[in-house]
Amino acid sequence: MPKFRFRFALLAALGALIAGALTAGGALSHPAARAASHRGGTFTMLAKSAADTADPMVDYTLQYWQLNQATYDGLTAYSKTGPGLGAELVPDLAVAIPKPGGGGKTWTFEIRKGIRYSTGATLKPADVKQSFERIFKVKGPTAGSFYIVIKGADACLKKPATCDLSAGIKVKGQKVTFTLTRPDPEFLDKLALPHASILPPTTPDKDIATDVSKIGGTGAYYWASYNPTKSIVLKRNKYFKQWSKLAQPDGYPDQIVQKFGLEVSDEVTAVINGEADEVFAADTIPPDRLNEISTKYPKQLHVQQLTADWYWALNTNIPPFNNLKARQAVNFAFDRNAAVTNFGGPQLATPTCQVLPAGFPGYEQYCPYTKNPAQGGRGPWTGADFAKAKKLVDESGTKGAAVDVVPANDEVQKNMGQYMQTLLTKLGYKATLKPLEAGLQYPFVQNSKNKVEVGLSQWYQDYPAASDFLNVLTGCASFVPNSNASPNIAGFCDKQIDAKMQKALKLGITDQTAANKLWAQVDRDVTDQAPWVPMFNPKLTDFVSKRVGNYTFSKQYYFIVDQAWVQ
Amino acid sequence: MIRFLVRRLIGTAAVLFAVSVLVFLIFFKTPGVDPARQMAGRNPNPETIAQIRKDFGLDKSLPEQYVTLMNRLVIKRDLISYSDRGRVLPRVVDAIPVTLSLVVGAAIIWVVFGIAMGLAAATSRGTPLDPVLMILGMIGISMPVFWLGNVVNLVTQERLHDSVFSWLPGLGYTPFLDSPSTWFLHLLFPWITLAISYIGLYGRVLRANLIEVENEDFVRTARAKGLTERRVLIRHSLRTSMISFVSLFGLDFGALAGGAALLAEQVFGLPGIGKLTYVSLTRFDLPVVMAIVLYGAFFVVFANLIVDLVYARLDPRIRPA
Amino acid sequence: MALAAGPWRTAASRLRRDRIALAAGVLLALIVIACLLAPVYADHIAHTDPFSADPSATTVVDGQEVPVMQPAKVGLGVYPIGPTWDPGHYLLGADENGRDVAARLLYAGRNTLLISVAAAALASVVALVIGLVTGFFGGLIDTLLTRLLDVVWAFPVLLLAISLSAVLFNSKLDLGVITIESGSLLLPIVIIGAVYVPYIARPIRGEVLSLREKEFVEAGIAQGAGDLRLIVREILPNVITSMVVFFPLMVATAMLLESALSYLGIGVRAPDASWGTIIQDGTGLLRNRPLIAIVPGILIALSVMSLNVLGDGVRDALDPRARLRIRDASEAAR
Repeated sequence: MPKFRFRFALLAALGALIAGALTAGGALSHPAARAASHRGGTFTMLAKSAADTADPMVDYTLQYWQLNQATYDGLTAYSKTGPGLGAELVPDLAVAIPKPGGGGKTWTFEIRKGIRYSTGATLKPADVKQSFERIFKVKGPTAGSFYIVIKGADACLKKPATCDLSAGIKVKGQKVTFTLTRPDPEFLDKLALPHASILPPTTPDKDIATDVSKIGGTGAYYWASYNPTKSIVLKRNKYFKQWSKLAQPDGYPDQIVQKFGLEVSDEVTAVINGEADEVFAADTIPPDRLNEISTKYPKQLHVQQLTADWYWALNTNIPPFNNLKARQAVNFAFDRNAAVTNFGGPQLATPTCQVLPAGFPGYEQYCPYTKNPAQGGRGPWTGADFAKAKKLVDESGTKGAAVDVVPANDEVQKNMGQYMQTLLTKLGYKATLKPLEAGLQYPFVQNSKNKVEVGLSQWYQDYPAASDFLNVLTGCASFVPNSNASPNIAGFCDKQIDAKMQKALKLGITDQTAANKLWAQVDRDVTDQAPWVPMFNPKLTDFVSKRVGNYTFSKQYYFIVDQAWVQ
Repeated sequence: MIRFLVRRLIGTAAVLFAVSVLVFLIFFKTPGVDPARQMAGRNPNPETIAQIRKDFGLDKSLPEQYVTLMNRLVIKRDLISYSDRGRVLPRVVDAIPVTLSLVVGAAIIWVVFGIAMGLAAATSRGTPLDPVLMILGMIGISMPVFWLGNVVNLVTQERLHDSVFSWLPGLGYTPFLDSPSTWFLHLLFPWITLAISYIGLYGRVLRANLIEVENEDFVRTARAKGLTERRVLIRHSLRTSMISFVSLFGLDFGALAGGAALLAEQVFGLPGIGKLTYVSLTRFDLPVVMAIVLYGAFFVVFANLIVDLVYARLDPRIRPA
Repeated sequence: MALAAGPWRTAASRLRRDRIALAAGVLLALIVIACLLAPVYADHIAHTDPFSADPSATTVVDGQEVPVMQPAKVGLGVYPIGPTWDPGHYLLGADENGRDVAARLLYAGRNTLLISVAAAALASVVALVIGLVTGFFGGLIDTLLTRLLDVVWAFPVLLLAISLSAVLFNSKLDLGVITIESGSLLLPIVIIGAVYVPYIARPIRGEVLSLREKEFVEAGIAQGAGDLRLIVREILPNVITSMVVFFPLMVATAMLLESALSYLGIGVRAPDASWGTIIQDGTGLLRNRPLIAIVPGILIALSVMSLNVLGDGVRDALDPRARLRIRDASEAAR
């Protein structure tokens, strides 16, 4: 989930500036009269099925983050309006974004006064500490990865029931001070995620699941009802008064509804007929309807570039792909255009050869695995080089090896799997296709016990930091043998490259530009070692109804639904 | 009679128990199934997974887990789904009216047309109408329902949607109480599609039975008494033939209401029991699957029981063991 | 069986006079032969490998080289080439992997036919053994097996087959004696065969029970004939007649169930195909390339219909008053 990175000092300065601008009267806002005429109505989005629990500290899906951004607030937020949309960190429940003290280890936030939850209670600085303790008590998915940097958090992770963060979070008057165990360049990002929402102290200390009456938030809306087989209804929070148009703007629709149960093609029909306003963007529009809507309703279709990778992970620990030449051979032979076609064509995906997605911090175009590579590989992918691949396979001596190809069971991935299987067979391997149900496939390919030679996966950023791809997906620490939670699917671990990653991480605390240069190098090093066959960076298609106005797209939360006009 | 009933009930309970154990075991033997991992999100810490495993009792032995699951499903009724952590029972309860709407409507159509077809064919033996009807029935039986549904959708929702079928709402379901007319329109084509194969089957069965009783003594007697052909047909032949028709209907209806209308629900986007089953299976959502399987098995066992009772009433000699 | 030759011969000559049944038989034979000739069509007529996925392939239409997967002229999307109506290449167009649909349909037919016949045979044999044993011997073994069948019977067939397939599709089935790898055609065969066993075993048991009380069997028992001898000489020939009568119907039923499973993506595994998987592929392109889904559906309907008609014919010829009927002849399809 996305935004790009500003340096600390810049951020702090900007934050203060914006906060100032806002208190001065909100120069960025639309003319009040125009805005008022669009206020009201019900915005209805359609999704195939419910995603997860309604608890903002537990849910880890884009589907509900898209709603939770309008119902909850953290201390910081990714801007939801204005030019820095989705990219810029702004103060939310905090008055301003502070500068870190103690060598980057302490952060002191001043909490805004007079903000009320949808329950009617008033936000108090002490709620911050309680909310962060709750992340551990409900066993949030990122408790151990994101918030473990807070002092005392390791004890909370071990014994969640008695979590006490007094050592890490001190409340004094309106001020809340965080003490970290190490400087963390990504701390402000982590505060902006829905997992770090500030909740009323009356919220129960366990996952609320579907019982939304137990929870409330500070956002412009609140979850009025949640039925996982039918719908979610968000209504206006009557205690909400806009304090920052950037962080939590007032919304236009009176109600936001997400309905479940239709197949995507039928969702499209409903939106065409004006029975609903949006096909949830992660419900991929079937190719069968794509042309029709792009030609008949071009104004209602929004195509957005995403910073994400679709790739095949080659298992670097077992034959045949523990052999570098074999891995490079597949990279040379792989026709990226075939995968792009499977995904819906060149307008919907861009071929790539490397780990970092285009436009990402640290991205420098690099493609050594192409016909006629550019000088030093610094050019785009232009075509497969099958002859070279054949030669590499012969040299590697891996010909005839048995290979399992494991994509998920949906139409698109199954097609990609069939191409991969055909390709590997042509290269001389004994390839077997084993598609798995989507829910099983991801943990299955991660677990080294299952001995998957070739697994399909994707990664959509939750951090606009190079480490969120390179370190998380190809770092030594991300490979956990025999575990279902081992995001380094290729099991790739190169000590030298890993040392370089650690260096880049450290450098990031002081000098992000230099760090990104270093990340670009790491990206090339990893690509040369070919633990993956990167296929493409996908685009997103968002189909909305005729009446929807003011479509705003944030790389962090995608379509900002509360800013849509439905009248 | 009461002894027979009690024995059947004990038998039913034993069957339901066996079914639930079977489902449970198959589920946990599947490699890659790790509900705790699935619940933990996309990039979790191993300690978090371990805690979720503990919270949901997934670290206990299989028998213990089974007992906990069944206890929460049947007695405490607070079992929650692995995928979205909502309560399981309400969603099964929500799905039942959808399935019943579909199945009852289709059943009415197939019974009415099935009887009409059987009667028409039996009375027009020797004319071209009989083989024509039988071939039509055979075509109905032979078409896969999911395929027929897709073709129907192609025609009604796409090719002719802007002209002939512009009055038809999109796919989906509207509860009867929200809008009876939309409910009806949503279900019209699903009803017809689902009923078509049964019309063929029931029509053929009825025709065969009618012809079979033609030569029975009581029919001959009735004729000899001078009753009109029509009266003989309706009052004697049809009545007798209906016995097997009714038992066939009982079992088919039980199976469909128990979830066997899955394909029709899937193709027409109806959120009934069948669709819920399929979605839960693909998500490996054991609690939901378990609830539906028991529900479905209950329906089928129940329908069997009713049919057996009807039989036992009609003919005490074939009281089943 | 020597004794039974008479009735069988009569039946054969009766069947030969049944024109409708004969027509159905010919139609079925044509479909089977066409499917058996799949490699000939693929190699020598269409010159294509229907199992090789290549979305970047090209072909020549009207002297011009065109991509098989064609980007839309206006707007977004890439679509496989439509029907060329030329048996030499892409007669019915291509699928989403750029493969020749016509050639795939023939190969798919082989799998569909193989699975349905094998599953029907498996179900029949197992049901026959169970029916004979429980019906003839009765007692504890009868009670146990009947209860076991009740467990399977308690599920709607379709639901049971789908549940088993969905779970086993992702793993292998270990039966002790043999292990079936996921992706093997044996998996749908075993699953479909297994779920229909109770539906055949029950009526067979009933028939055996009633046969046992017939005079000729009672007489045999009185003369001290062995169990095995009685089963083989007296009971089996009678039961076999019934089995032959509904074997075609069983195949038809199995075919519908197989296509349902494959349609849901839990039957035959890609890149292998069955008519059901091709319907599934085609459903995704129903609006733009409707033939991909429609043609295999017609093939299924034709095959099932000829099997049903043939079954009727066989019944009329062999045993006009057959009491044994498969109750749920086509439940799988609904």
